[in-house]
Amino acid sequence: MSFFSHQKKNEIARTQKVRTRFSHMRISSVLFIGYRNMFANRMRSILTIGGVAIGIGVITLLISLGFGVQEMVIHEVTKNNPSDIIDITNKSLESFVLLDKNTLERIRGIDGIEQVEIRSSIGGKLFQGDSQTDVVINAVSRHYLDLARSDVSQTLREKIFTEPEGILITPKLANLLGFENPSESIGKTIEYSAVVTDDMLADVEDVPEETPKNEHENMVTIVGIINDQTKDDAVYAYISIEEIRERYGGVTGQFAKARVKNESSIESVRLQIEQTAFVTESVIDTIADINSFFLIVRSILIVFGVIIMSISAMGMLNTLSISLLQRTKEVGILKALGTKRTDIFKIFIFEAFLISFLGGIIGLVFGYGAARGVNYLMNIFAIRYGVVASSFVEVPTAFVISIVIFIFFLGLITGIFPAMRASKIHALEALRYE
Amino acid sequence: MREKENMAEEKKMVIKVVGLKKSFHVGIQDIPVLYGINLEITEGEFVLLVGPSGCGKSTLLHSIYGLENPTEGTVFIEEEDIWSRTKDWRAHFRNHFIGFIPQQPFWIKSLTVIENIAIPGVIAGRTFDESIVIAAKLIELVGMGKWADHRPFDLSGGQQQRIALARSLLLDPKFLIADEPTGNLDFRSGEELMTLVRNISQQFKITILMVTHNTDQYKFGSRIVNMVDGQITSDIINKQSLSKLEEMGEVKKTGETKIVA
Repeated sequence: MSFFSHQKKNEIARTQKVRTRFSHMRISSVLFIGYRNMFANRMRSILTIGGVAIGIGVITLLISLGFGVQEMVIHEVTKNNPSDIIDITNKSLESFVLLDKNTLERIRGIDGIEQVEIRSSIGGKLFQGDSQTDVVINAVSRHYLDLARSDVSQTLREKIFTEPEGILITPKLANLLGFENPSESIGKTIEYSAVVTDDMLADVEDVPEETPKNEHENMVTIVGIINDQTKDDAVYAYISIEEIRERYGGVTGQFAKARVKNESSIESVRLQIEQTAFVTESVIDTIADINSFFLIVRSILIVFGVIIMSISAMGMLNTLSISLLQRTKEVGILKALGTKRTDIFKIFIFEAFLISFLGGIIGLVFGYGAARGVNYLMNIFAIRYGVVASSFVEVPTAFVISIVIFIFFLGLITGIFPAMRASKIHALEALRYE
Repeated sequence: MREKENMAEEKKMVIKVVGLKKSFHVGIQDIPVLYGINLEITEGEFVLLVGPSGCGKSTLLHSIYGLENPTEGTVFIEEEDIWSRTKDWRAHFRNHFIGFIPQQPFWIKSLTVIENIAIPGVIAGRTFDESIVIAAKLIELVGMGKWADHRPFDLSGGQQQRIALARSLLLDPKFLIADEPTGNLDFRSGEELMTLVRNISQQFKITILMVTHNTDQYKFGSRIVNMVDGQITSDIINKQSLSKLEEMGEVKKTGETKIVA
């Protein structure tokens, strides 16, 4: 008895002190009731939370793969094409401009250019014993490969210049020359011939003075094997342009790569190069293309996501409305026992938040897990087919934040109407309700 | 005994109903249910509000409890005009000062018996854990300790009303308002519940206002207020009952209580 009297005194004192500030249910209690209610209707809760989880999961899966693949493609593209490099090519065969001494000087003179390297792709043949093979011989200047093929090791890139009469070939080319294992071909001396016509020749910087050698004396040593990044069966070779010039005279460049001093000046440098009758390409163009492609992909994914989430949201709204109908009497007794309208509102809105956040978090985790699973399976296949395994799952922080915001609004929008209705229920009507 | 009566007379008034009228609006008609009720209840009384069905007992009870807005007149509880206050004030007041036992048991289905008993504490802003400590004492008080972890709807009607009684006592109310709590119970369960209510009201000095139309239960009340057609037709002190306050066991056994004006 004394226990109750004491408690009562405290209660009265408290009420008298704060007449207008009424006590409210704790959020922990509201969440506990929501949790218990979900638990009491297990199957319904699982299905509703599952619906939200599937929606969010599919979106997470698609988006994380979308971003991941985009990242991977851009990474692969820029790996050998740093963004400070400009490709210089001719517009068309009709107005073909050779990259001779004068042209190169003009390009080098452009403000902002640090380095220009050239390449001449010449049709030719390689001979090894009885076998002969048609091949594209890429005659390159000293540092061309530094700008073009950062995937090839520095030592290999320099070998065609450091070793006399060296040539780099692709594995397929080694096969065609009769070497089953491409590495067997290294160190072997083979004969080559290139089809150099007069219109490929012009005034170049370092024309050798001696007369071209006899065509049949064109011997080169295979100094290394270079894998092509895109095609396993590519057939071409790299040779130093000096070697070609020694044998065929002043062969000019057909393509060039230029490095700019400052990446930010790349557009103005490109404009100036284009004024010299060439076309330029930069990896920035490719990245822009990739980005715009993936923007379309993502837009489609978002449309799918909106459709999926609309279905989930309707399921949630349905569940919450039924929950309210079933709990009209509960609302009645809670109100009769003195629960304030705002607390009734909280009970229902927090239940909606519980469903949306549980579904959202489960969806995020499973969506990400599924994406990782897809990545893992793809890598198993990739390794089996000799492709390097890579990670193409990317969940940007902005995406996670937007999902959190989204599930908040999902809970709010689906919960607000049942919660408002619940808070307006009159205790007596609910208690009379049968 | 005389001393006791004097004491009762001196006790302060806790509920005062002044000119309470209520009519319900049905279609274009106003149907009057209460025709100017005046009623005063003093501390410690066990008032039984009796009368035929549809006479307005429950409406009066709900008006006193702060749920049914009167058309005219008002209700003072401890000099506080409850109908001049806001809804939230009344909700707070009901929660902290009045215990309520509805005619039918209403529960939060997903909660256990003891958690349901703890609900008024939770509504008042306490945690479940804090409230369950008090609920554990009350569930023993009503003799339902072993059912604490069951669901309320697993229990019989009589058991549920005991739980409802325990719930109504959680915040140690000054008054208990009960709307035919034995209406759906068999005789034996009804008697048991009434005995329990009476014992508890005496033990904790709680004023009780209860609607009933079971004449067998008149013996439990210290005062019988009879209503017919929205008006109080008689208001009598149950002297026999008062004299037997300490001997409830006997009253229950003999069942011979008479109403003496």
